[in-house]
Amino acid sequence: MWHITKREIYDNLNSLRFALTTVLLLALMGTNAVKHLREHPKRVQRYQDAVTESLNRLTTRADDSLYKLAQYGPGNFYKKPSPLHFCANGGETILPDTVEVNEPPVFATDSDNNVLLKGIWSLSYPDANLQNKDIGPNVSQVDWAFIIGYVLSLIAVLFTFDAFSGERERGTLRLMLANSIPRHTVLIGKFLGALLSISIPFILAVLVNLLLISTANTVHLTTEAWGRLGIIFFLALLYTSLFLALGLLVSTRVQRSAVSLMILLLTWVTFVVFMPSTCASIASSFSPAMSFDEFWQQRNPIREDLWDKYEQWLWSSKLDDTTLRAKSDFYTENAKREERRHEERLKYRTSQVHRARAITSLSPATLLQHLIEAFAGTGFERHLQFAGNVQRYARQLRGFVADTDRGDSESLHVIGVREGMSQKPVNSKAVPRFEDTLSLSKDFNTAAMELLLLVLFVVVLLSGAYLAFVRVEV
Amino acid sequence: MTFRFAAAVFITLLLVVANTVVLLKDYEQRLSAYNTATQESHQELRKQKVYSRYAMKLIVHRPPNPLSIFNLGLDKQVGNEIAVYHAFVPTVWDAVKHGADNPFLNLFTSIDIALIFQGVLSLLALVFAYDALAGERERGTLRLVLTHPIQRGYILFAKYISAMLCLLVPLLISLLLSIILLTTSTSISWNADDFLRIGGIILISLLYISLFYLIGLCISAMTRRTSTALMLSMFAWGFLVLVYPNLILTAVDIVPKPETQTSAYNQIKQMWEELDREKKKFLRNDTILGPLSRDGESWGFRLKGGEYSFLRDADKPSTLLYFYQSGFYAGKIKAESEPHVPLVQSYYGFHNREIVSTVNRTWLVREPALEAVYIQPANLGRMLLKFSPVGLYDAATEAWAGTDVEGIQDFFSAVRRYRRAVIDYFYDKKIFESRQWFAADEGTADWDALPRFSFQRSDISINAKRAFPDLFLLLMINVVLFVIIFLIFIRSEV
Repeated sequence: MWHITKREIYDNLNSLRFALTTVLLLALMGTNAVKHLREHPKRVQRYQDAVTESLNRLTTRADDSLYKLAQYGPGNFYKKPSPLHFCANGGETILPDTVEVNEPPVFATDSDNNVLLKGIWSLSYPDANLQNKDIGPNVSQVDWAFIIGYVLSLIAVLFTFDAFSGERERGTLRLMLANSIPRHTVLIGKFLGALLSISIPFILAVLVNLLLISTANTVHLTTEAWGRLGIIFFLALLYTSLFLALGLLVSTRVQRSAVSLMILLLTWVTFVVFMPSTCASIASSFSPAMSFDEFWQQRNPIREDLWDKYEQWLWSSKLDDTTLRAKSDFYTENAKREERRHEERLKYRTSQVHRARAITSLSPATLLQHLIEAFAGTGFERHLQFAGNVQRYARQLRGFVADTDRGDSESLHVIGVREGMSQKPVNSKAVPRFEDTLSLSKDFNTAAMELLLLVLFVVVLLSGAYLAFVRVEV
Repeated sequence: MTFRFAAAVFITLLLVVANTVVLLKDYEQRLSAYNTATQESHQELRKQKVYSRYAMKLIVHRPPNPLSIFNLGLDKQVGNEIAVYHAFVPTVWDAVKHGADNPFLNLFTSIDIALIFQGVLSLLALVFAYDALAGERERGTLRLVLTHPIQRGYILFAKYISAMLCLLVPLLISLLLSIILLTTSTSISWNADDFLRIGGIILISLLYISLFYLIGLCISAMTRRTSTALMLSMFAWGFLVLVYPNLILTAVDIVPKPETQTSAYNQIKQMWEELDREKKKFLRNDTILGPLSRDGESWGFRLKGGEYSFLRDADKPSTLLYFYQSGFYAGKIKAESEPHVPLVQSYYGFHNREIVSTVNRTWLVREPALEAVYIQPANLGRMLLKFSPVGLYDAATEAWAGTDVEGIQDFFSAVRRYRRAVIDYFYDKKIFESRQWFAADEGTADWDALPRFSFQRSDISINAKRAFPDLFLLLMINVVLFVIIFLIFIRSEV
């Protein structure tokens, strides 16, 4: 078997396709690295500036008083840019990178614009990155997901289309099988040979890419990031094997290599290029989303409902416990419902995207795209994780406010109302800070299904190729 | 009836028909969203009683382009709802999206018929071409053919014509089917011009296929063995169609973008601040209206009967949009304030005229700055894309379909003309200084007399003019390539 593999590799090393592949992959990976080196520091800077500003807001509020903190909450939250952004762009121009903290709503003012009733903060999820007003041509960026998903798969097809049909045409297949080698050994040998000869230029390109990125002092890759890169590399090999297996399968069944290539290319174009977009269009036309107006209209009944319930206390300036508590309930309930409304909208949209993603998973190219996004810490699932982190932090902060208030003996412990809360400044060091974390195990969980599907694809195609080759007449 | 021919026809038909159905449905959805949105803003405007409330209520919508089925271009990407208001000049960057879109669904790439042709037909052309000469040479039939007293040029030409005819079949059949599908839909009304535009798209597609066939033929003429020719063709395809467009645009992104924004933005802001000073000066000299409280006129100059005040503003440094304007609404003005009314009227007349002239001045700064920041980098990218036939094809079909930058800009210049017409109407009828500008007690705003907005897609001759440079380039490349192949072929040893 090793003999066959070795012979395959030697054959390929001298071939034209090997040279072209090397050049192509090196050019792509080089561009990718240069672009990342230019853009990543800016991205990180933007993120840090935004976070510092948002932290400043939190500290000024905390320094003012606990009441201010309870009323205005923290500053906006920002998504931490992934150091592995070069692996998968993940639609950064479409996905928003913040979760906003709404200013407390003003329910009523008097004729001199003085605020009479003011609620407390709530979270909202902006629609999309509104900064993006680009009218440039719309093409996908050169990231690893593109290089592996499109270019490497095409190369895999080009390396295997003549594996058996070519030998059959030249008559060497008959010769080889006349020896006492089991057929599956031949198949595995061919497969490994092709895989290794594609891996050589790919590894070379990846090394150049990573060398450029890791030697620059503007980008730091942690140990975890290297681990993630390892996983992505493994995914790339798995995905390449899928197309190698497909190539071998077609090549065993077809007599002439030209026909074999034709079939393979058309399959490739359909599955890799067209299937993702067509499936997504079909999926997205199933159910239209809620319109913005509808979304705003939902707000009114909620407010009216709350007004009816609490109105008798809201206008009173009495400072007794019932009035204060009613005001506090009104504020918190309003903030809670507002937040829930936003969350439901996000959930609805998420379910729509998930449906579309499920259908597009028929195409291995999208599977790979999603997997790389998951492990590179970009893309849609990452966005949901970020939103989840923010929600958890919001709960934590509210808990902190309530706990600190309980510690103040002068306070009446009515959250969100000036007269009912501690007016003392809070030690800003003690206030919990938001940290946008990524966990590898969580990423594994979200990606498990897709990983399984990809493995299944490979296994099915490989066994298909095996069965076909064992039964084929030479 | 070779296998490759059957496969070519089958796969093109399958992809085109399946996607036409999907695209048609998508178009119908967008059209109905457009209709609802138009109707809603129509009603919304009519609810307003005073003229000053037209701000952000007089909204025009961009209808989806039916030819976007052939090339989507910017049709879906760019905003389709824009307010017409005298305090800013509408541009494509101020437009927002209406309707029930889920913006996250843009994560998935969109598809159109030009994209299918771009990918599949070019591949087929190469598959048809790679063995045209190398294969005959390998089999020895080329030598046989050349023993006959036929000129080599004829052989080449005959091969080219026959292959092109074969490639035309899948193109025409699939387009025919998709046009039949499209004409059965009741939501699209096609006119003769649209069919001419589709004709233009077919012409471009033809040149594009021919170009790829010639690339394949060129490779075939240069190589001795079919397997080498095939490998080279496939890599050429992968590079031209797949790698080059993405690679070049990524590379363009690396080039730093021009940063004229802040200075232009500050200039615009200064103009508005100057206007503010003018306003305050005007009011300070007036004994009855001034001196002002904190917000200027916000509480209606102590006019009794004022119901509420409003502030319209925008401050978006990224698109250089800055304006603010405040006003108030009076339901019924009390008799004791009646003497103030003419003064307020003359104030609004003065102030709005000043706003219009300030906006005109800011536009002189804003337009070139936006051009430098957004249009020039985009055009650079487009220009570099044209080094690949894919870019040329895409640009030319976009131009025919009217979904290119110019086609989209046509709509926004129509909106700008409409804004001008509305302002002229306000001047003519002296609406800025009328009582109905802020009060609804003596006659309310008459919205039906307002000029109507209408947008016609550009004339077919303009489409043709925009598509012509790319078409010409494609043609020239075809001719040059054919000559090169001819030269290689007559000089080659058989």
